[in-house]
Amino acid sequence: MSLSRLRNIVKCDVVKASASSALVSKLLGPCSEIVSTCTIQRRNVTQQNSKPDWNRAVSEAEKIVGYPTSFLSLRWVLSDEIANVALHLRKLVGSNHPLLKTAKNLIYNGKNNMQAWGLIVLLVSKAAGHSPEIPDMEQDKAAGVLYSQRALAEVTEMIRTSHLVHKGLVNMNSRQLTAAEPGDMMFGNKIALLSGDYLLANSCTELANLRNQELVELMSSAVRDLAEAEFLGERDEQNNPLPSRPVPEANWEPASEWDCILDPLPMSGVEGCLQREWVARHVLAAGALLGKSCSAALKLAGHNSELQTQGYLFGCHLALAWQAFLDLEAFTGPEPASFSLVGAPLAFTLQENPDLYTYIEAGRRSVHDVDYHALYRAVVEGAGIARTVALQRAHEAAARRLLERLPDGDARAALHNIIGAMRHDL
Amino acid sequence: MACLSSSRLCARVQNKLLCQFGHKVRRQTVFVKLKPPGPSPLRIFGKTCQRVTTCGPACGTGVYTTSATRRLASSLQSTSTGSLPDYGTQIVDPYRLLEDDLNGIYEDIRTELEKNTNQSELNTIATYYFDGQGKALRPMVAILMARAVNYHVYGENSALLPSQRQVAMISEMIHSASLIHDDVIDQSDFRRGKPSVNVLWNHKKVAMAGDFILAVASMMIARLRSDEVTLVLSQVVTDLVQGEFMQLGSKETENERFAHYLTKTYRKTASLIANSVKAVALLSGADASTCEVAFQYGRNLGLSFQLVDDLLDFVSSAQAMGKPTAADLKLGLATAPVLFACEKYPELNPMIMRRFQEAGDVEKAYELVHKSRGLEQTRFLARKHGAEATRLAAELGDSPYQKALVVTTDLVLNRIK
Repeated sequence: MSLSRLRNIVKCDVVKASASSALVSKLLGPCSEIVSTCTIQRRNVTQQNSKPDWNRAVSEAEKIVGYPTSFLSLRWVLSDEIANVALHLRKLVGSNHPLLKTAKNLIYNGKNNMQAWGLIVLLVSKAAGHSPEIPDMEQDKAAGVLYSQRALAEVTEMIRTSHLVHKGLVNMNSRQLTAAEPGDMMFGNKIALLSGDYLLANSCTELANLRNQELVELMSSAVRDLAEAEFLGERDEQNNPLPSRPVPEANWEPASEWDCILDPLPMSGVEGCLQREWVARHVLAAGALLGKSCSAALKLAGHNSELQTQGYLFGCHLALAWQAFLDLEAFTGPEPASFSLVGAPLAFTLQENPDLYTYIEAGRRSVHDVDYHALYRAVVEGAGIARTVALQRAHEAAARRLLERLPDGDARAALHNIIGAMRHDL
Repeated sequence: MACLSSSRLCARVQNKLLCQFGHKVRRQTVFVKLKPPGPSPLRIFGKTCQRVTTCGPACGTGVYTTSATRRLASSLQSTSTGSLPDYGTQIVDPYRLLEDDLNGIYEDIRTELEKNTNQSELNTIATYYFDGQGKALRPMVAILMARAVNYHVYGENSALLPSQRQVAMISEMIHSASLIHDDVIDQSDFRRGKPSVNVLWNHKKVAMAGDFILAVASMMIARLRSDEVTLVLSQVVTDLVQGEFMQLGSKETENERFAHYLTKTYRKTASLIANSVKAVALLSGADASTCEVAFQYGRNLGLSFQLVDDLLDFVSSAQAMGKPTAADLKLGLATAPVLFACEKYPELNPMIMRRFQEAGDVEKAYELVHKSRGLEQTRFLARKHGAEATRLAAELGDSPYQKALVVTTDLVLNRIK
């Protein structure tokens, strides 16, 4: 290994201290200058609207299961492909390819960062314990989890990161694309696609090494769900999601039961009912992966299928509560320049007042064309925020009920703390 | 690392040998009646070539030999006609032999994908390349090997296992998923004679459709409930991505370039074929050495296939290929014909290093390749791998399927698209 590469890794360590993800810090190694400026801005934002509760809950939880994830393993840092990506990413600095933003968000997006997902999988693993038949060799005694569960947590993060990176492609078929930088965009797409594929391929190998085919099937179905999520409902030209046109409650189609885990999520009764659309969207985009990972962790520990299903539901409810909490963030501080058009507060508001949909239609070409100020006023004046808070509480309560099925202990308490830390001052 | 350096060594030896043997090939074109390119004692391709076989395939050698010789006369010309030679009655067209097994394979893949989504646009994009217009080479070879190995192990009354047919479907799905991602990366306009996916749909959705196909294929793999098969097939995905990464950078020196090219070719093309035939052999319950024979057959067939592909990029018409020609040069890629041509025309070196990006580079390189013996040497190398595959196929028990494996190496070498 070359010396310059070593130096690069050492340099990355500075970033790692805050990020604790070797992969992404290495991705960003060469462009740390843009990152550092962003950190300052970011810090200002976080000071305003995030409570230290969250950070404390997460860092205490991390101590319980040892280091947060196995992503830190050296083979990531030393991988040829990642070194290659870092090299190419340098060429993109200065362009505005969204891959840079994706990479940055992976590290600094406080509450939505990826290692939190692996952390939850490990906490569930520790909280549930494992069957006495599992040989000592396969246990990480100090942390109270199995090595296979740690590998699974890593797979969860790789799948999620891969999906976020693939989501960050630019659609070059769009008419609005400025002709100035097709080269940069094409190159950025290439790197984004390959990096995502690299993570996906590694998660395949890692899963195969667990030698549990039911688990491979379950986790592969989570990858499928993530892909499906990107097709749900209306989209602008860059595939940013838009809500569907609200239909009055009297005309809603009956919703189908969602008791499937391996089958794809049924879509009947979803379109036009914005609450259901919100749930379907975020179950596919987040709940499925977190739920299936929790379920898989319990499977690895030798728990029965009933508890595995509870694990799936816990992951889904936690992901939905989390999403509702993130959706509320835009409405806690000063009015933001833009916010998610498929967030729960706006979904409730649109359902109440379908005339507002004309504002959404203005964004068919690009979500940037939407009059966010008008929609913001409508949300703040309506019941959307209060109903989203209630929605978050409902999912939190469901998640807590499921947690009570697990024996009392430090890991379970840490999960309760994390749920409790999802609070805004409203 | 060990594997890379050994292949690097291989490439150097190959280079030398090719210089030596290139001459011989040319002579063969003139004297058509010369000895056909049977298995040779050269043991540089593949690890398993321990035995030196002096005879051709056990059965149908006569027909094979004459037709092969006849074809040799025309195949070295740059515009090969490529129509299937008249094999007589003894040698079977593998596609006809497997007609029943291959029948409906695309429909089955489409059904599998459709079952896994409730989003109609995702279904449309994901099934776009499974329209039955492809060559279905990978499923064909997988099923052929499955039947040949089953016959080898269980004799005449063996049947194709449903799980082996699943592997055939999976191999085509992994292939298509990689094509879809390639289309976004390379911004190609046409594939298989129709607009490619990236022209028709949002690139973000196209990328997701590729992930989707891979996920469904992984679920199918998992449902086979075999740890070994899952490990073997997950290696394919890793190889594909690593091959793609190798294509991205051209840091290697002139000496390393050919080894780099061969490793890349293995990862991007041969690994899928080699590992899927290994998977069907594993499912059949064959012993380790038979699985290795299957793997090496697939590896050599895959390398030969890609070498021919790289050759056709220079000699075939855009119409026949269903995609533009000299496409590799336009993408900045130096394939075997260029690397060989480089020996005679060192002025190609700087063009390779700048990935043919300056005006006139593509045209100049195209011309130099045609002026050099690069195409001939590429064909020679392809034929060497084909011969090695033939030799390996001969290690399996005699059966119509085993014969068809031999014919397949010929099909691959003499295709025009």
